[in-house]
Amino acid sequence: MRDIFVVMKFTILDMLRRKSYIISTIVILLLIVVGFNIPKIISNVSSDNNKERILIIDEENIFANNLSILDSLGLNYEFSYDNLEEEKIKEQIDNDTIDSALIISKDDNMINMRYLVENVLFIDSIPEDLIDSLSTIYTKMQINKLNLTKEEEESLMPHFNYNIEQVSQEVNGNVIVMMLLSIVLFYAVYFCAYQISSSITTEKTSKIIETLVTSTSPKNIVLGKTIGIGITGLLQMVLILLTAVISAKCFLAPNLLSMLVDIKSINLSLGIFIIIYFLLGYFTYALLYALTGSTVAKPEDVQSANTPVAIITVLGFYLAYFTMMDPLSELGKFTALFPISSPFCMPFCIMMGIASPKDIILSLTILVITILIIAKLAIKIYSNAILNYGSKMSLGEIFRMSKNK
Amino acid sequence: MGLKLVNVSKSFGKKLVVDNISFSLDKPGVFGLLGTNGAGKTTTIRMLLGILTKDKGAITWNGEEVNRKKVNFGYLPEERGVYPKVTVYNQLMYFASLKGMNKEKANNAIKKWAKELKVEEYLNMNAEKLSKGNQQKIQFMSAIIHEPELIVLDEPFSGLDPVNTEILKNIIISLVKEGKYVIMSAHGMATIEEFCEEILILDKGKTVLQGNLKEIKNSYPANRVVLHVNKNIDNFLEKLSLEVEFMKNNEYVIKINNEEKAHELLKLLIKEQIIINKFEIMKPTLNDIFIEKVGA
Repeated sequence: MRDIFVVMKFTILDMLRRKSYIISTIVILLLIVVGFNIPKIISNVSSDNNKERILIIDEENIFANNLSILDSLGLNYEFSYDNLEEEKIKEQIDNDTIDSALIISKDDNMINMRYLVENVLFIDSIPEDLIDSLSTIYTKMQINKLNLTKEEEESLMPHFNYNIEQVSQEVNGNVIVMMLLSIVLFYAVYFCAYQISSSITTEKTSKIIETLVTSTSPKNIVLGKTIGIGITGLLQMVLILLTAVISAKCFLAPNLLSMLVDIKSINLSLGIFIIIYFLLGYFTYALLYALTGSTVAKPEDVQSANTPVAIITVLGFYLAYFTMMDPLSELGKFTALFPISSPFCMPFCIMMGIASPKDIILSLTILVITILIIAKLAIKIYSNAILNYGSKMSLGEIFRMSKNK
Repeated sequence: MGLKLVNVSKSFGKKLVVDNISFSLDKPGVFGLLGTNGAGKTTTIRMLLGILTKDKGAITWNGEEVNRKKVNFGYLPEERGVYPKVTVYNQLMYFASLKGMNKEKANNAIKKWAKELKVEEYLNMNAEKLSKGNQQKIQFMSAIIHEPELIVLDEPFSGLDPVNTEILKNIIISLVKEGKYVIMSAHGMATIEEFCEEILILDKGKTVLQGNLKEIKNSYPANRVVLHVNKNIDNFLEKLSLEVEFMKNNEYVIKINNEEKAHELLKLLIKEQIIINKFEIMKPTLNDIFIEKVGA
């Protein structure tokens, strides 16, 4: 146990001192801060100066001088009103005095609108919000002509109230929170646990491994490394999450974060289960990476050796994703128990109330047994493959080693 | 007491790499493990350190089966290795901690050995910035820092310059004086002759020669005469049909079959009234014995 702690401490300090770790952490944190500021930056950049300048021509005065109402509606356009000839309008568009022009005319009961732009390739259609606003202004004008009472007027203007309600009482909860947690676990596995294999291979490349295995047992090395790299990875993620939360609070619109991510939906017991599954899930994949790292001796082989584990990780993540899309499916039951996907999926099922205590116990038991098997296998392969300085080991060799004492 | 290997064998697949070897170290000293490349020396060392499992036989330390937890040993592997991006001090502290030393004791030991090996100035540098020879000294430090009883040195002098070789030799001699058991594998026969009382020569996994080095050498007849005279005696030696192995400034190294032949040569030199400055009858060197045993 002492040696596991010594290996873990050395691994943590080694990782924290690495330039790659420091630089990647700083870059990610900066990207997060910048990312949360993008809406602000865009709105600043696209402020008044970048509003589309539209000239509105109502030669027949169809809107009876009510067009100026458009200026008070907060639309993202800069309006000007004039009755220019079409040639002059085209000239202004060519000169970039205006971006476009809307010519309104009336033909019997039909109101026609011609939208003049420099090039139709860059325009999808006439701006819908502008048309809606014009339509509303025109409708109000017509209603006003009828001299209706306020109540009659209001009864003609539609006020729809939308509300979504769930019919089934079985599933409820915040899917976004669980999806985010799955992504965090996926990140932990994909970007942190994979460093274990790289760390083991580096020790082989630098030939330090012989000194190391005569100083402590392979079990202590594998477990110490796994926990050490896990802690540095988790530390990086905590920093990322903290920066994201602080940035969201500082730079996003108030309450937007709480609207998207309802933390209140996570109670104490669910929080504990989330942590348990996160740690067990991380260990499952981290030990798989320790196993693959033991089978190679050259840094250039690490990537290909890790590919099967990366595929399994993606598979586990997507199984959980499909379950979140359809929680009551048969696939969901399987995913919650299958050790590759249960760390991603089971906390979601617990939150949704679709996992019984029996399911949780069974899922945890399967997961712990899987971890023990993988750990035993990883340590055995590590012990037997220490002196493999050659090429990547074949599956046959790995199988033979797993049977060795 | 000491280390004992009895009928130890190891195969890799169908290839028998170590075949039934036995040897023991009963008292402190340096034991020489010799052999050509691929003879099975490193495999033997790895088995006795528990890095590799033996297929059969017994390896005991003080009468008990060797177990990494029970035996306090130090190991300098043939494959040199350090953590390139970690400071010398931190990696030495790491290995000292893994070997059960507390921080204070480890710190004192690091400072003591750094001074002895003249690497004090490198302690706070990343190991990758050190020369190969200095990296080797760091690895040697990690092998002995915890005061092991049994020290295994696989090619300890390869890659070292004469000054550092001398430093390392003196440390090994002092370790033996302190009562340490040392197993040394080396290609340089002169080094083995200098250090080892007992040797074992392996060839293709089999023991071809084993025992006390002095006794082994004494069991061989004299095979050379070193002669220094006051003039050129090439013609004289040619008439006697003697093979000259080396000649420079009237100093000759002459091959002989036995000591009688040397005595005959001496008589003839006196008879011819050749002034002799030096006449020495030489036993075969370990190099001669090694080539005879495994060179064919």
